[in-house]
Amino acid sequence: MKSRLACIAAALLIRPPLAAQYRVALPGYHFEFPRDYFSHRDFQTEWWYYTGNVKSPDGHRFGFELTFFRQAVSRDPAKTAAWDVEDLYLAHLALSDLDGGQFYHTERTNRAGPGIAGASESIGRIWNGNWQIQWDAGDQKLQAIDKRFELRLNLHAEKLPVIHGENGVSQKAEGPGRASHYISFTRLATSGSIALRGKKFAVNGTSWMDHEFFTHQLDSNQTGWDWLSLQLGDSTELMLFHIRHKDGLIDPYSAGTYVDAQGKSTHLRADDFTLQPLEEKWASPITRATYPVHWKIVIPKLAIELDVITPLKSQELTGNSKFAPAYWEGAIVLTGRRNAQPLTGVGYLEMTGYDRPVHLAP
Amino acid sequence: MPILSLQDVSKDYLTDGQRVRALSGISLSFERGEFVALVGRSGCGKSTLLNLAGAMDFPTSGKVLLDGIATFSLKDAGLTQLRRERIGFVFQSFQLLHTLTVYENVELPLLLAGKSNPREAAKERLAWVELDGYGDRYPHQLSGGQMQRVAIARALIHSPSLLLADEPTGNLDTTTGNVILELLHRLTRERNTATILATHSPEAAALASIVVRLRDGKIEEITRR
Amino acid sequence: MPRLLLFYRLLVRPLFQEPVRAALIVLAVALGVAVVLAIDLAGNAATGSFRSSMETLAGDDDLEITATGGVPEDVVGVLAALPYSIRVSPRIEDFAVIAETKKSLPLIGMDLVAEGATYAQSESTNTAEGSARPAVGESFEHLGDLDSAWVSSSLGYKTGDRLQLLINDRESAYTVRGIYPDSNGKESAIVMDIAAAQHALTRYGRVDRILLKVPQQPGLDQWTQRLRAALPAGVNVRPQGAGTNENRRMLAAFRWNLRLLSYISLVVGAFLIYNAISVSVVRRRAEVGIVRALGAARFAILTAFVGEAACFGLAGALMGLPLGRFMANGAVKLMATTVQSLYVSSRPGPIELTASSIFFALAIGVGVAVLSAYSPAREAAMVSPVEAMARGRREYDTRVHKARDFWLAVVLGVAAAAASRAPAIAGKPLFGYLAAILLVAASALAIPAFADALMSFSSRVIGGLLGVEAMLASRSLAASLRRTSVLVGALSTAIAMMTSVGIMVGSFRETVVLWMNDRLPADLYLRPAGNPAVDHHPTISLDLAQRLETLPGVEAVARLRAYEISYDGIPATLASIDPQALRKSRRSNFFSGRPIEQVFAELRDSNAVIVSEPFTYKHHVKTSDSITLSLGAAQATFRIADVYYDYSSERGIIIMARATLLRYLPDPAPSSLGVYVAPGTAVETVRAELERAAAGHSILMFSNRDLRAEAIRIFDRTFAITYALEAVAVVVGVMGIAGALLALVIDRRRELGLLRFLGAATGQVRKLILVEAALLGVLANLAGLIQGFALSLILIYVINKQSFGWTIRFHWPMQILLGALTVVYAATILAGLYPAQVAVRLNPLEVVHEE
Repeated sequence: MKSRLACIAAALLIRPPLAAQYRVALPGYHFEFPRDYFSHRDFQTEWWYYTGNVKSPDGHRFGFELTFFRQAVSRDPAKTAAWDVEDLYLAHLALSDLDGGQFYHTERTNRAGPGIAGASESIGRIWNGNWQIQWDAGDQKLQAIDKRFELRLNLHAEKLPVIHGENGVSQKAEGPGRASHYISFTRLATSGSIALRGKKFAVNGTSWMDHEFFTHQLDSNQTGWDWLSLQLGDSTELMLFHIRHKDGLIDPYSAGTYVDAQGKSTHLRADDFTLQPLEEKWASPITRATYPVHWKIVIPKLAIELDVITPLKSQELTGNSKFAPAYWEGAIVLTGRRNAQPLTGVGYLEMTGYDRPVHLAP
Repeated sequence: MPILSLQDVSKDYLTDGQRVRALSGISLSFERGEFVALVGRSGCGKSTLLNLAGAMDFPTSGKVLLDGIATFSLKDAGLTQLRRERIGFVFQSFQLLHTLTVYENVELPLLLAGKSNPREAAKERLAWVELDGYGDRYPHQLSGGQMQRVAIARALIHSPSLLLADEPTGNLDTTTGNVILELLHRLTRERNTATILATHSPEAAALASIVVRLRDGKIEEITRR
Repeated sequence: MPRLLLFYRLLVRPLFQEPVRAALIVLAVALGVAVVLAIDLAGNAATGSFRSSMETLAGDDDLEITATGGVPEDVVGVLAALPYSIRVSPRIEDFAVIAETKKSLPLIGMDLVAEGATYAQSESTNTAEGSARPAVGESFEHLGDLDSAWVSSSLGYKTGDRLQLLINDRESAYTVRGIYPDSNGKESAIVMDIAAAQHALTRYGRVDRILLKVPQQPGLDQWTQRLRAALPAGVNVRPQGAGTNENRRMLAAFRWNLRLLSYISLVVGAFLIYNAISVSVVRRRAEVGIVRALGAARFAILTAFVGEAACFGLAGALMGLPLGRFMANGAVKLMATTVQSLYVSSRPGPIELTASSIFFALAIGVGVAVLSAYSPAREAAMVSPVEAMARGRREYDTRVHKARDFWLAVVLGVAAAAASRAPAIAGKPLFGYLAAILLVAASALAIPAFADALMSFSSRVIGGLLGVEAMLASRSLAASLRRTSVLVGALSTAIAMMTSVGIMVGSFRETVVLWMNDRLPADLYLRPAGNPAVDHHPTISLDLAQRLETLPGVEAVARLRAYEISYDGIPATLASIDPQALRKSRRSNFFSGRPIEQVFAELRDSNAVIVSEPFTYKHHVKTSDSITLSLGAAQATFRIADVYYDYSSERGIIIMARATLLRYLPDPAPSSLGVYVAPGTAVETVRAELERAAAGHSILMFSNRDLRAEAIRIFDRTFAITYALEAVAVVVGVMGIAGALLALVIDRRRELGLLRFLGAATGQVRKLILVEAALLGVLANLAGLIQGFALSLILIYVINKQSFGWTIRFHWPMQILLGALTVVYAATILAGLYPAQVAVRLNPLEVVHEE
């Protein structure tokens, strides 16, 4: 699961395409790699989502987020020229200078055009302008250029990709097709450099990658969600999300995935875990939204209890236009215990629907 | 019939909005062959009288008759015609055209009157004023006396019945002036014209058959010899 | 203070006593200044508008990437992926005609997906920026529609309106999806998404420009180098707006020549000021003498007269300002026409009367007045008091050194001939102009001798024919030879200019007419209705061109394709032709004199091109030289097979075979078609066939004769501005004659009065003045004609050749010349009417007895 309200917003603004033109995510999907690392034209929406926590040798911590979205707009067979808009490619880029106390974010929108954006298996690349992931001998090379900062990172997968959900689908709501195909690289050993305002940092750390594709998965009753990716000190990982309803209840399709040290994944149902916002809030000066920035996670069947805090409260991404809702997406730090053993870790937290309810119905 | 007759002639000028009387109740009459001297101080009306006599101007009241023709009855064309046929002018400062030769200066009135082949007449007139052989010169090549003689020749070119001369000796030394006066006197007789001189010169008055003394626009005295 | 008072009493007060004369002098200065100012202002407005809406919508971009025939569109992707923080904005640009109003507007295709988002961003963060970009945010949903258009507010449409656009040879319906602000109408344009523009123009695979915004560090040059390394050879990186500068450079010669032409009126004005001041100096000799006797220094006299001239100049310039501003309105239309038909499409911008142009006008007015007054003022200062006060020397018959001046004139004439043989300096015919100036100076010096000779002739001959008045008139003119010469100099300069330009334009026209006979061999010509102009080339659909070939009665269809290119930093046209489709022409149009088949065979068989004559002048190349062109992504070298005469455009033209060009730029759509009708078929029959076949396309069809008439019409329109300039110079000259005659009458009132005493009728006095006017007219016309003939040779063979590179055959445009000279002559005589009336009204009693 991932955010991308901007993407959905764009989908709403552009004349609603007939969903019938697109495939929906149904159980029994057979994943095949590397094919499924790249674009799926027959699904309407698709994203690639990279987040990570890294630090320089002298301990300067950074968080980063680079996301690529593809939103299909038209599948008119007559429109085949280079500039015809079949898909909108949006991308978000954020750098959290955790020790510098600064948050930088930017976004761009493009069409595929003559090589401006895309996700192509043949050249092993997912890109939007000069923000790109280049597959290179099993590693993913991340490059993102902004006028204030630049990221150049090598991501090395320490575990095979995980397929979330059950039977190849991650169900998000009641009904066939209200689901996505969802895979993750949960532990990507990361090294490279970050240039920020003229200063260059050599960095090392861990990244997470999500790739999800689907055709309208959410329900009109659902107003927002909270999502976490957690990389724990015992070489295990967790992905958890819950979907909030208008009435404040948590959707029964909320779910998660546990990945053990060997890379074996276990599906977590909504009643397998609790995800509890605590008192501490952060109010955005821009959108006036109030985000809970302190969470408590309890997973009884794994004997895990975790306290989630963030080193930088101001990690809200505000959209370029009034059509794109704002969301909070930031680096987090975990402390807690598992089977009475202390457990720490890092991760990313995404919170949506706090500035205003998200209208998700097509 | 008198060649010139003024009957109770008055002339007013407007100067700065003020009416100034230049001549007042003048009655005079002259015959051919008479040599008249108009005398009096500057501003007594001599020049005004000459202008009226030369059909260059109209009286404010009274009549001016030239050869019996009343000037007020004529328009500009008629006056011009009158001048062309009957009147010759001589000026104090000669008034020759510097761009023309002596011949051309003398011929000018005939040419203006539209007469062709004036050269013979011009030669003859130059002979009258004793300037034979000077015809091709330009005015600036002549002395003052010679220039005035050219002017006289020009004034006589169309054999006018009335010759009007305004201070003809004013710009000349006494000797030369006397020669000019003698010349005018002689030609008046020989050509049987009437000549009216406006003059300060006592020599001129001495030669004149009639001396008219003006004072403040009125006749003070007429002396006939 | 005392000096000022003296200045006032001696110089200013007399002016008020002769208001008409003073007014004429001031008016002459005013007209001269007005013309110069008008040309300057109009030049800025007519040529200053290349910063068209395309540039304005380019916003704050630093660099642009261009290539002949368009930049391959892949370059956009390559640039977008470069690891630099640059903004990449591709453009597909052309022109569209609004069917309803026939208004031609730039059509700008931009990436509204990317730039719309960028715009929204800048809107929220910085409201001052990006004002002229369409706000597409709210109409995002129509982005993908190929019939969506965004228009500038000045066009008066509102969202939702339907809009019928003629693009190339097709008319299509569009819907206005949004309005963007357009403060003063300068930026009016039609904006489309780049995809819609691409379909509308069928321009696939290429974009016209890519605009780039780069970071300030490390500087534009370094960025240019970095980017060039990433681009194919034929693709060019240059500062954004470089095209504007190229256009300015191309127009420099044109504007320069026009500006010099406008100075002629000023020269004519200078003659008149010189004359006026001379007269006033002479007439105030006595006063000068008195003042000198009372202790005034020479310098004081000099300053006083120069000061007086400066006052005339200032008054004239002040009057000239509004007049010039007014005249600029007309001039800008005429100039814009010329610019559009010969150089580049541009819409005239607003006329801006800036502080600097005001200062310029004042400086010119005062400067010319002071310069032309200096010599007479100096003469006044040199007068000795005794001489000045002496009476009797009435005329100012300052001696004129006829003979000396004549020989000086001969020397200057020889110098002019020598200067005319020198080459151009930096593309400007500086020596040509020097020759022209020397020629004007030489004729000014020769005129006294000429006038004297003619006057003595006329006093003898005309005297007999026209009577005593003519004799008097010619004597008087001959007597005041200096004044006469100055007057004749002034008017003859104006006439010379008129004659020379008339001969040049007439010769040019004749040359063009002859050339067209050879150049236009086809029977019917077709071109797209969408705004064809000298620098953009709409295209005809390829399928239509192919269909026409199969029609009955059509023998052959020649396809011409033209592109706008930049060669050596100057705009040029690159065209391709079908060498085999051309019909045999009567005469060789080539420098080499070879027959057309032979030259075209060379084009067909090798990488060869032919170039137009102006191209060789602009780029200093000749037959057998090589030129390297950037074509698409490649750079290719071509040999110049021959040079051909061309008069269609001042821009350089390069022509290659169609097959050759298609190798580099594969777009096969032609820009125009020439249709050859099969022998024995009526042209009208074929024309009807073509019209039926072209239904659904917006095509303009011209018969051979129509096209020629059209070309000549454009030619005549093009030169309208030069005629207008001549007219003003002549008006100044004629006005000078009126003023001078008036002065003459006033100076000679004693003589005129005397003539009345001697029996002259008023009609004779009037005739005398009119004959003087007529004599001045004859003199000036004769002198002007001779001088004009010589000047026309310099114009045709030196100035035109060096500025524009056209070979023009000399031709006397008899009718125009005769007509113009008659009009000038009549005007001169009319100019004598008022002075003649003044002369008639003089009271002879007053003037004769005045002394």
